Amino acid sequence: MSDTKLAPQSGAIKLTMLLAGVVFLLMMLLGLVMRAAQGGLIEVDPTLFYQILTAHGAGMVGTAALTGAAILWYFVGRYVPLVAGIYWAFLGLFLLGVVLILGSIFIGGFGGGWTFLYPLPAMSGGAWQVTAAAGFFLGYIAIGVGFLLFYLEIGRKLISTYGGISGALAWPLAFGNGKVEDAPPPTIVAAMATTVFNTIGIVVGAAVLVCSLVNLYFPSFVVDALLAKNMIFFFGHVFINASIYMAVIAVYEIIPEYTGRPWKTSRVFAIAWSLVLLFVMAVYPHHMMQDTVMPAWALVMGQIVSYLSGIPLLAVTAFSLCVYLRGSKMRWDLASSLLVLGVAGWSVGSVPAILDGMISVNKVMHNTQWVPGHFHIYLILGEVAMAFGFMAWLVKEANKVELSNLDRAGLTIYILGGAGFTIMFLISSALSVPRRWAVHLEQWMLQDQIATGFGALVVLGALIFVVRYVHVSGDTTN
Amino acid sequence: MQMMVLTVSLVLMAVVALIFVAAVRSAGIEQAPANTDRNRTFLIYGMLIVGVVVTAGSLRQWPHAISSSTETVQVNATGYQWYWELDKEEVPIGKSVIFNVHTKDATHGLGVIDPNGRLLFQTQAMPGYVNQVEYIFSEPGKHQILCMEFCGIGHHDMTSEFNVVAK
Ligand code: HEM
Ligand SMILES: [Cu+2]
Ligand SMILES: [Cu+2]
Repeated sequence: MSDTKLAPQSGAIKLTMLLAGVVFLLMMLLGLVMRAAQGGLIEVDPTLFYQILTAHGAGMVGTAALTGAAILWYFVGRYVPLVAGIYWAFLGLFLLGVVLILGSIFIGGFGGGWTFLYPLPAMSGGAWQVTAAAGFFLGYIAIGVGFLLFYLEIGRKLISTYGGISGALAWPLAFGNGKVEDAPPPTIVAAMATTVFNTIGIVVGAAVLVCSLVNLYFPSFVVDALLAKNMIFFFGHVFINASIYMAVIAVYEIIPEYTGRPWKTSRVFAIAWSLVLLFVMAVYPHHMMQDTVMPAWALVMGQIVSYLSGIPLLAVTAFSLCVYLRGSKMRWDLASSLLVLGVAGWSVGSVPAILDGMISVNKVMHNTQWVPGHFHIYLILGEVAMAFGFMAWLVKEANKVELSNLDRAGLTIYILGGAGFTIMFLISSALSVPRRWAVHLEQWMLQDQIATGFGALVVLGALIFVVRYVHVSGDTTN
Repeated sequence: MQMMVLTVSLVLMAVVALIFVAAVRSAGIEQAPANTDRNRTFLIYGMLIVGVVVTAGSLRQWPHAISSSTETVQVNATGYQWYWELDKEEVPIGKSVIFNVHTKDATHGLGVIDPNGRLLFQTQAMPGYVNQVEYIFSEPGKHQILCMEFCGIGHHDMTSEFNVVAK
């Protein structure tokens, strides 16, 4: 441990991050298999491809959320006592969900995509049975229940300690005449905001999951497809974004150890987080811009809020980080480098996301490889970089700050691979390659093959980070 | 359109990345404190102004507008796992063509590709709904239809085509 601050349950968190690191690696390998298959480098049966796509999507989103949650739990524990049993229940339910999901995919043959778009799970065209889809849904529900427990504990403690939801969100400072000295620390504000929006997201997701589950067994129970799609994308958008907004807590807590300047809740910071809370939920119609039956106001809102979401990210989080770095006595090691990379990657990834959030652009970019292009930027070079940074910090020796040659190599490989891999998606998209196609046309394959090479670099970089984590934590516990 | 979006995106991405590189480079160097609050305010107002201009410019003409004129050609397109049914094999060049898109099973997506392989437009095919999209073709020749929404194991096989002809 790098300092003597309160660090309850660090064993559970270290274990979680070990599991997550290994799962990230395995899922990256699945991703590599898909990209190589698209490039015609290996032969993968389309049925299997779509199973892998489903596993990769669900596995990556779930693991990103798990690492975000672990970061949140770890640092909130510095300020309020949390019940360890809840965390273990959360982790247990998560693992139960993983078993159900993997079983439904690779034993049951489910390949309906991580977004389980209604009514596809019930209409596989013979590829999987109803029980496989049901197993997949139950897996999601197990994970969802675990998260609800998790947020219940966090929310309960924050509300009672910081004067309700508004107090924990620093509303007196944001919108009243509260003082900076009285405001809760950034970690608490971020934890409260994510608790609110992700709880709402998960409840909406659970509702549409239950409807889909009933529909599997009673097809006469029909759900409005447009409503179901709205609910699924509300849930999916909120849930994956929550993982990044939880992970950034690691930046608030850890970077000050390297700069020597604390990260404080300012008025701008507090307002920014309240806007994030609103924007994350209001922006989801940007997933439905090609549903022309959607009310126009919703699509306009999707476009405008997509753009506005960039402001708290770029003008507050990214801007503040750059200010903290400039002129500080910043010291670099693997942890601090990866955490800064995480914010940079997240910021860079917001550019193509915002462009795709314009209805006229979306008309030719929606569901092309632009989409995996932009989100892989802020996942590989954003959320996952922050998670690896947190891992490196967890096992670092007190007072030792250095970037070894291996660390440098890992970072270089990971950044180069991540940039190349994601830019190839964007280029493919400009050439009109649709996403989620198991088989690509001849003329698309060159980009796929180059991307596979870059993807292999990402896997190699990640492998270095995970092996180093295992190795160093072995050293420090022995 | 696509190439412009790609170019704009790569340029802005590079700008954001370079700002971070500059911040990382200058870390650890003593500097006179910058006027942080004022700079931040400029950035926020700058982004807001750009946002208003871009939003107004890009929405002034509603991208999903459907003309009510009777001079249009109507095409009914229906998605099935895993093929398309179109009630026309030919559409005229230079005239408004309205696609009425629906599905008989899962959700599909109708995307139209021009003879150069460029995606011209798309819309979703959603159970219980008819999505409409209007387009004026400017190039004659074989146009392809792809499926743009994941619809199961035959998703990538769900292609079709029609001809754009000069009349
Ligand atoms: C070496 C690293 C990775 C590789 C090679 C890889 C590869 C891929 C490929 C080929 C696809 C399908 C693209 C398509 O639609 O045509 C995909 C989709 C996806 N990936 Fe990755 N990926 C990697 C890392 C990640 C990470 C770190 C995350 C998240 C934390 C992630 C999340 C996703 C998601 C959510 C999808 C969408 C699945 C769907 O469309 O249903 N990937 N990835
Ligand atoms: Cu289809
Ligand atoms: Cu499809």
